[in-house]
Amino acid sequence: MSGTPFLTAVARIITRHKLYNIRLHTSSYTAMALTQVSSNKCFDGFQKVFEHDSTELKCKMRFGIYLPPKAESGKCPVLYWLSGLTCTEQNFITKAGSQQEAAEHGIIIVCPDTSPRGCNIEGEDESWDFGTGAGFYVNATEDQWKVNYRMYSYITEELPHLISSNFPADSERMSISGHSMGGHGALICALKNPGKYKSVSAFAPICNPMQCPWGQKAFNGYLGSDKSKWESYDATVLVSAYSGPQLDILIDQGRDDQFLAAGQLLPDNFIAACTEKKIPVVFRLQQGYDHSYYFVCSFISNHIKHHAKYLNA
Amino acid sequence: MSNEDVEAIPPSSSPAMLDETTKEYLFSTDEGTLSKASAEAQVPTAHLDIGPEGLSFYNMDLYESRERLDIFTEELSSSRTEDEQFTAMEDSNESRPRTEEEEYDLYTAEVSEMARQYGIWDDKEDMEMGFQTQEPFVMVTQKQEPAVQDIKTWGEEPVKGEPKEGGAGEKRDSIHKTPAVDEGGSMEHHEPCYPSEGDEPQSHEQYVGQRQYSEEAFEEEEWEEEGSQAMKASRGDTQIREFVGFSAKTQEDLTMDMDNPEDGFRASEHTHDLEEGQPGAQAGGEDEVPDVFCMECKIAIRAFDKVFGSHKDHQVTKLSIAAEDTKVEIHKTMCKLEEQIAQMENFASHLEEIFITVEENFGRQEQNLEQHYNEVIQTLTQRYEEKTSGLEDEKKQKLEKLYSQLVNCGKTLDISKDLIEAAQEICRNEDKLAFLQVAVPTVERIEEYTASDPDLKLSASLEFENDAIDFSDVRQMMDSINIVPAPSAPVINPQTPNSSTSTSVRVCWSLFSDDTVEYYELYYKPVLEGTTADENEEQDASMVKVKETYCTVLNLVPNTQYEFWVTALNTTGISPASERAVYMTVPSPPVIKKKLCRSCPNAALIRWESGNTNPVDSYTVELCEISRERSETAVTESIVGIPTYESVIQLLSGRSYLIYVRAVNIGGPSERSDPVIIYTTGTFFRLNEDTAHPSLAISEDGFTMFYGDEYTELNDITFSDNTFSRCVAIMGELIPIRGKHYWEVEVEEHTEYRIGVAYEDTQRNGYLGANNTSWCMRHVMTPSRHKYEFLHNGSTPDIRITMHPKRIGVSLDYETGKLAFFNTDLSQHIYTYKCHFLHYVHPCFALEKPGALTVHNGIEAPEYITFS
Repeated sequence: MSGTPFLTAVARIITRHKLYNIRLHTSSYTAMALTQVSSNKCFDGFQKVFEHDSTELKCKMRFGIYLPPKAESGKCPVLYWLSGLTCTEQNFITKAGSQQEAAEHGIIIVCPDTSPRGCNIEGEDESWDFGTGAGFYVNATEDQWKVNYRMYSYITEELPHLISSNFPADSERMSISGHSMGGHGALICALKNPGKYKSVSAFAPICNPMQCPWGQKAFNGYLGSDKSKWESYDATVLVSAYSGPQLDILIDQGRDDQFLAAGQLLPDNFIAACTEKKIPVVFRLQQGYDHSYYFVCSFISNHIKHHAKYLNA
Repeated sequence: MSNEDVEAIPPSSSPAMLDETTKEYLFSTDEGTLSKASAEAQVPTAHLDIGPEGLSFYNMDLYESRERLDIFTEELSSSRTEDEQFTAMEDSNESRPRTEEEEYDLYTAEVSEMARQYGIWDDKEDMEMGFQTQEPFVMVTQKQEPAVQDIKTWGEEPVKGEPKEGGAGEKRDSIHKTPAVDEGGSMEHHEPCYPSEGDEPQSHEQYVGQRQYSEEAFEEEEWEEEGSQAMKASRGDTQIREFVGFSAKTQEDLTMDMDNPEDGFRASEHTHDLEEGQPGAQAGGEDEVPDVFCMECKIAIRAFDKVFGSHKDHQVTKLSIAAEDTKVEIHKTMCKLEEQIAQMENFASHLEEIFITVEENFGRQEQNLEQHYNEVIQTLTQRYEEKTSGLEDEKKQKLEKLYSQLVNCGKTLDISKDLIEAAQEICRNEDKLAFLQVAVPTVERIEEYTASDPDLKLSASLEFENDAIDFSDVRQMMDSINIVPAPSAPVINPQTPNSSTSTSVRVCWSLFSDDTVEYYELYYKPVLEGTTADENEEQDASMVKVKETYCTVLNLVPNTQYEFWVTALNTTGISPASERAVYMTVPSPPVIKKKLCRSCPNAALIRWESGNTNPVDSYTVELCEISRERSETAVTESIVGIPTYESVIQLLSGRSYLIYVRAVNIGGPSERSDPVIIYTTGTFFRLNEDTAHPSLAISEDGFTMFYGDEYTELNDITFSDNTFSRCVAIMGELIPIRGKHYWEVEVEEHTEYRIGVAYEDTQRNGYLGANNTSWCMRHVMTPSRHKYEFLHNGSTPDIRITMHPKRIGVSLDYETGKLAFFNTDLSQHIYTYKCHFLHYVHPCFALEKPGALTVHNGIEAPEYITFS
């Protein structure tokens, strides 16, 4: 952190964002400037997109945030939604149809991007399942990626801090969910931080990345070839080491999901591990559904209810 | 010495009077204090010279009426007045010593003598003396201090008393001794206290001393006589009591208007010593306002007195408390008085009513008498007329008869005379033949005539016919004047609501107001259905005799009609029977079938049986909400007119209710049935054992089902239509309310079961979930894993659960059309059916392999089920 960006950031805060009550913290995320990219009224609340300079990722990052009507009068719990490969913050907010249920239950939904962007790292845009749009929610250790590709820290540290500092969010009540790679991200975030998230759910998550091509490619790229490093980002492995408050994991999986058939998702491994570890999972294999957001939007209300049960308890 | 007396005396006289006098003394003593006359040096002098003065002075005071004292009290507040008054008193003292002394000597001599001789004090003299001494004083005071005018007022009062003195004198005698005793006692026993009283009261003491000594002088003899008695009283309070007793007695004896004189008497009697004492007591109180209240003497005293004074052993309280207590007492007394007033008012109005009634009754009686006597007089007149006319007739008749008889007699005489003449003429005839010829017929004629006897009987009797006058009817009439007529038939009232119980009815009737009835005879018999009127007539009626115009007939049969009629009787006779009225006893209370009652958070289904052999009109259900604050709860709601043996009652959730049922017929409602307690915390149902598969055993409490190990030959089993024949299942009986229901089922990890709901008419020979009339969660063990299915119409979604529920929550919500299953241990939502239930569904339970399921219901639905 150089002094210049810091000062710039402070200046920006003062000039542009008088709207928000910015408190100065002693942490590393002290200076956080938010730029509103869009704001649309939705179910009496607002679906907004903000841009900010991420200290973790050293780049501008956007995130979508749905502020339910209840947020106008008090603090609301937050559900973090992690999107899948190739997605930006837009996919979920435009396709999942989560706002109605979120408005009903008074839940803020924060929907970050899936990777750093525009970092000019060699090969970051080479493939759709690695690099840009495929951060895999890990903190990269390989030299090439480790400066920017710190999505895990970004999701679990910087973003919650940013949200609770700038929005009427109750930092004590947060949950996490995601789709595909985001499902993997949600599971590992919950499993690696016992108690941090009140509940976790996933749509067609990559349950056992170490055992699937997507995961192997990504982990190899970001973490190197040492598979022991991979284990700390593999939900199925993490389950067996989990110790903490009781989880209640809800997973929906389309039966006609091509990636299920392709062995990218491997939910059975995860279920087996959970059964072994007696971690409660309800896994619903939804007949006829595929991997798309049509599948997600069919069951998103179930998931929001699932989270609401714990967030609003 | 005088000081001690002072202390001893206040309590000794009757509290109220003393109090007042005491106040007065306070004044004078106050002055004394201010002037600070040297006490001890003066004492002897006072004893010699001023003694009589002092005496008379106090005497005067003692005469004072209460009114005067009251006024004084007010004036007390200004010290100036006090000063002046004091001066006035002193003046007066000096102005009249001579007269007083003289009088006093005389008085003393006389009195003591008389006392010795008769034990009697001459009150009259006393009074007079009092007057004399006073008057000069009064005049003096008047000049100087208007406030003292009151004295004059009182001065007149004793005059009233005078005439009565003589009568009261004897009674007063008895008091005389007491003061003396008191004095002696107080003097002796309270001496030690003297020094402690301090200097201030000294000047006052002086007065007291003067009086005291002078009194002592004349009283000495008496005192000696009674001294021994006085000595016995070791304590001031003992004396006080005695004194109080005496004065009380005196008061009683004296008439009311003697009150004031009484004061006077006491003063003139040796009582003055006592009262002299009072100033002392007050003297103590002057500097300090009394701060405590002596409970025994009922006066305010200083705390000091409590410690050292005459109230030493008395119980005392704070003034404020005493005042409060007294207020309370007064208030109580007032309340009592108010009550009495109310009672008297009631009584007065009652008397008024009675007055009117008596007046009316007598008026009626007068009318009655008049009427009756008029009747009698009329009858008598009529009778007289009848009699007189009868007599007249008889007279005429008899006279006529007699006359005609007289006429006949005359005729007979004439004929006889003619015959004689004719015979004589014949006899004169000389011609024998001619004579003979003529004589023979003539003789024959005469003979013929004489042959018939002349009728000499009276044709009319001399006796009066009907001479006996019959007064019996008149007498009866006379008698009947005081006897009321036989009453007319009473009017029996129809049955009024709530006038009967299951075994009794209260029958009422009325009479005509003119009737006098000694008692009634009430007849009754049951109305038997299915019998003809004639048959009914044959039954024997029961009868009760009643004085009132109502009767509660006991020992009847519940829910039965009875015919009642009533006759009225008095000494004259019996009235005709009233119309017949049918009364009905209320039914016996119904019996709630508790095993068949079900409930849910917003309603309960109550079932009962009649409890009566014959049908009742309807049933009433009564609800009492049981709250924690009130143990006994009133009926919060009643549902009336229920024609059937069951009712669904809307309730509020989360409450407890006692529910009663009453049977109702025209006679009214029965007693309450035994209650059933309904908790609306959750849905409560029981398993319908009629539907149980024969292999399924139900526990005694009815909530656990077992599927035993043994293989049962299906062929040997006969199935009823209602019994599950293929699936080893049982159905619960849910309350038919389209609301929210929740229950839980306890399962073993390896139990294979089906849990869900089904329409009541779901196929009994099918498997639960295999058709479109049932929905169920199924758990089976495959070689690899636990398999959970959510069956409806034979299909299931693919759902995998990593934790095997031990307790399954089932939530049924008709409104949203959701049937959801939960792992209650984890608060985990497992699956939700979404379907529209066209009919009421009932919980269903089935076991696929030997094992057991236990139903838990009546429990509150957890909150998390709303997130499903």
